[in-house]
Amino acid sequence: MPASVAVGRVNLSHPQRGQGLSPAQIQQDLSLIAEAARASQPRLPAVLAAIAELDQASQEFIHHWAETLALSQQALAAHFLAQVPDALAVLEQPAIEGWLLKALDTFDQRGLAAALQVIQDLPACIAAQAVARTGCTLDQVAGFLRHFIRALGGRPLAIVSDPLTYTDTEKIYLPALLTTLPDQVGNARLLKCMAVYLWAQNRFGTWRYGTAGQAITQLDALGWQVFQRLESVRIIARIARELPGLAREMDSVAFVDAAARHAWASFSAAAHTLENPRAGVQDSLALVDACRALVLPPPRQFQGEMLPQKVAEVVARRVPREKEALRQALANLTPDAVEKDPDNPDDAPPEVAAEGEAGNRFSLAQTAPDAAGEPQYELRYDGQKLALTAELEALLLSILQDLGELSDEHLAPSGAAGTDPRNEQGSPGAGGLGDAPSGPGEVFFYPEWDYQRQHFRPAFCALTEQLVPEGDDAFVARTRQKYRGLAKSIQRVFEAILTESQRQRRQPHGDELDLDALIEAHVDLLRGHEMSDRLYTHFRKAERSVAVMFMVDMSGSTKGWINDAERESLILLCGALETLGDTYAIYGFSGRTNRRCEVYRVKTFSEPFSLAVERRISGISAKSYTRMGVAIRHLGKLLAQTPARTRLLITLSDGKPEDYGSYRGRYGIEDTRHALLEIKRDGIHPFCITIDREAQDYLPHMYGLANFTVVDEVMKLPWKVADIYRRLTT
Amino acid sequence: MLLAEHAADRMILEEPYYEVLGNEREVFTAAYRNQLPVLLKGPTGCGKTRFVHHMAWYLKRPLVTVACHDDLTAADLIGRYLVRGGQTEWLDGPLAQAVRMGAICYLDEVVEARKDTSVVIHPLCDDRRLLPIDKLGELLQVPPEFCLVVSYNPGYQSVLKDLKQSTRQRFVALEFDYPQPDLERRIVETEGHVGPEMAARLVKFGAHTRNLKGAGLEEGASTRLLVNAAKLIGSGVAPGVACASAVAHALTDDAELLQTVHELASAVF
Repeated sequence: MPASVAVGRVNLSHPQRGQGLSPAQIQQDLSLIAEAARASQPRLPAVLAAIAELDQASQEFIHHWAETLALSQQALAAHFLAQVPDALAVLEQPAIEGWLLKALDTFDQRGLAAALQVIQDLPACIAAQAVARTGCTLDQVAGFLRHFIRALGGRPLAIVSDPLTYTDTEKIYLPALLTTLPDQVGNARLLKCMAVYLWAQNRFGTWRYGTAGQAITQLDALGWQVFQRLESVRIIARIARELPGLAREMDSVAFVDAAARHAWASFSAAAHTLENPRAGVQDSLALVDACRALVLPPPRQFQGEMLPQKVAEVVARRVPREKEALRQALANLTPDAVEKDPDNPDDAPPEVAAEGEAGNRFSLAQTAPDAAGEPQYELRYDGQKLALTAELEALLLSILQDLGELSDEHLAPSGAAGTDPRNEQGSPGAGGLGDAPSGPGEVFFYPEWDYQRQHFRPAFCALTEQLVPEGDDAFVARTRQKYRGLAKSIQRVFEAILTESQRQRRQPHGDELDLDALIEAHVDLLRGHEMSDRLYTHFRKAERSVAVMFMVDMSGSTKGWINDAERESLILLCGALETLGDTYAIYGFSGRTNRRCEVYRVKTFSEPFSLAVERRISGISAKSYTRMGVAIRHLGKLLAQTPARTRLLITLSDGKPEDYGSYRGRYGIEDTRHALLEIKRDGIHPFCITIDREAQDYLPHMYGLANFTVVDEVMKLPWKVADIYRRLTT
Repeated sequence: MLLAEHAADRMILEEPYYEVLGNEREVFTAAYRNQLPVLLKGPTGCGKTRFVHHMAWYLKRPLVTVACHDDLTAADLIGRYLVRGGQTEWLDGPLAQAVRMGAICYLDEVVEARKDTSVVIHPLCDDRRLLPIDKLGELLQVPPEFCLVVSYNPGYQSVLKDLKQSTRQRFVALEFDYPQPDLERRIVETEGHVGPEMAARLVKFGAHTRNLKGAGLEEGASTRLLVNAAKLIGSGVAPGVACASAVAHALTDDAELLQTVHELASAVF
């Protein structure tokens, strides 16, 4: 470990772990940092003197963060120093850390100017701190709310943060931070009630498309106010019937004071007809004129806004889209889904409806209401019930929520069956960061672990997947020729894996008697010894369920014979893996900076081994740097999706993680280690095969003691890789 | 008359409570009369096992149930030699026993069993109706009273454990799902010994958790879980606590989803 570390242009003292710095050293370091930016911070000498007055722990804290900030940008550190005595006076250390992390994230994403603004805006940080104790952020409850709203049923609604509280029938918009009530629990509850109320507007027909929608927009200002309150009475009554526990909770946070509660009570009494379960939005509209003269109570605290304009925009887009999607789905359904249901071959032949004219054979029938009292529908074809996929069911539900019924037009299958489903527009809001396997050009974002900050840099790395260009056949042929003896012995070893330990002898239970054991036991018995009870053979079929991902280092340093050895190993290994029948994939990785991380697809899990794969292996070539963490996160995610019982991520590498910029030394190693820990949590075993002789220094820390092998001669790599694989999976 | 005693032990004398969902009883009976094996499909806890019990009682046949697991081999089903006091002795496995006594043999979660079990299942399930016992050199001709019933849950088995076409195409298939709300309410009421109002709330709670299937939960609350919760409530446990213990924690370990299920429970009561 060096005695000093270079930070930007200055050299700072760098203590061994666990040893504190002397106040003098701290002062010296801080003034070095301050010096670099003195021009912009005239207050610094005074500030440094103030820091010298602080206790040792605080000084070390400041030193650590000044150093961390200086690693990104010295000006950040200088501004931090200028603010820190004030900050320490009012904030706890964790709060200061939060403030600095926000600044660093801002720096990563939006550059220096924005980050400096965050650092300088200490008062805002203090205010946020106070709010954080009593307020509830949407982030804290969003995960729960998504599940909760989903569970309540109806069209799936996304939860999004927005200054206004409303719904557009596809999303629920909630404030990012709620401080209405004096404590955090209360605010969390209020957020939930807001979400539920807006869900209920969707579910109980406030926004049902059609005549009511038109009439709403024609209300005058007072009428609009009255209508909102009438709808509220109706919706609360519906919630109270369906979800009484929730209604009680909502009631507890609905009113600012007793007067408001009282005002609502008398208003509700006037509109009691809306409490009828059959009351709809039209009934609320019909009552508007009768209630104009009443005293209007203040809105309930969770009520939010009603924005018919926003709803109209969304509905106008959705209704035709869903109609087309349904007709498309029906068209796809027509040819076989009905005629033969593979699961019920014994079903009675369809009773063809008499009115089954050439026209519309699909129909919608209402059946018994579901648990929530909502009417249930089933789709029929020639009068026979259709089994629907979950997607189609959700689509029907969504359409019915808008329209209340299906028109004939909806039920007419569109054009030719089997049109390209890609033409359908995906539902907005579906799919987060990098959900789907990517086509070329799709960008995935991954966080990166910064050990200095002890935090992730969110969405820091941008990664793309590309296909390796096919190389020449000659290399493949040459390799097979060169290693023909080795290939055979690898083959034999792997075949042995398949048959080995299938019949286990001398078992206490099993399929058949073990004759040898039985004879011995009988002899024992005759001699008066105790007889063993392990007399069976057990046929244990070695059911292999292994998926392995080979992650091949394609950094510039592999150029030449290392690259050759890697490619040769892979060609030999593919043959062996085909024998075993294990699922495997091969990806290369490289990149230059966090914005240009790349993985190269050689073979996916589902792709069969082929000449094209061989040619792609031969096409593996040296590219640029080794940003390992992001590649591990991406490939680990692909691996985690395979259903195998044992999942292995094997890295073939020639050195430590390194990239242009800060991704070198300890930073790169710590990020890689963190990425490996993440995939281990997903049940993946990482293993590293490297030819870096210095790997002993860092690999144990990254992979753990038993999870790597250093191959000292590159030429041995092909043999070693197969051998290691055999050891790992048997 | 060891066999007869065995058979008597396995008779179901009291009628097991079962609400008929549709035409499953007629189909099963017809399959039985025609010596056709039956495949029951459906999610966990929707009443497959109860239905088999009910049918065994209804048809007055002994019932042999085998819970399949991934180490269950053909030998486990047919039987094996045991060594007792220096002598070998043949012991029939549950399937051979069932064939001999003309019982209904129920293989629960059949896809979990080893692939070699298909060797015995196949000849048993087509018109040959044979059970070969290689080790005894015996070929059991299956009596007309015998019936093989297997069940599986198409929902959550891994792709590696799908039922092969050659196996599934030998069966008459009955599909089960969670019962309609009205019926499910009656089941929860009868089985869980709670009032109709409480049963209706539990069923509604169950329906809400089923909305989360595929969106966090692998399965929603089954009828069995709802009945369990009802039983706890019937014994004086508060509804919220009962739903937490009998349903929420049985469904998931994820903190966020647990909170969701808890809050759903308090929302409907």
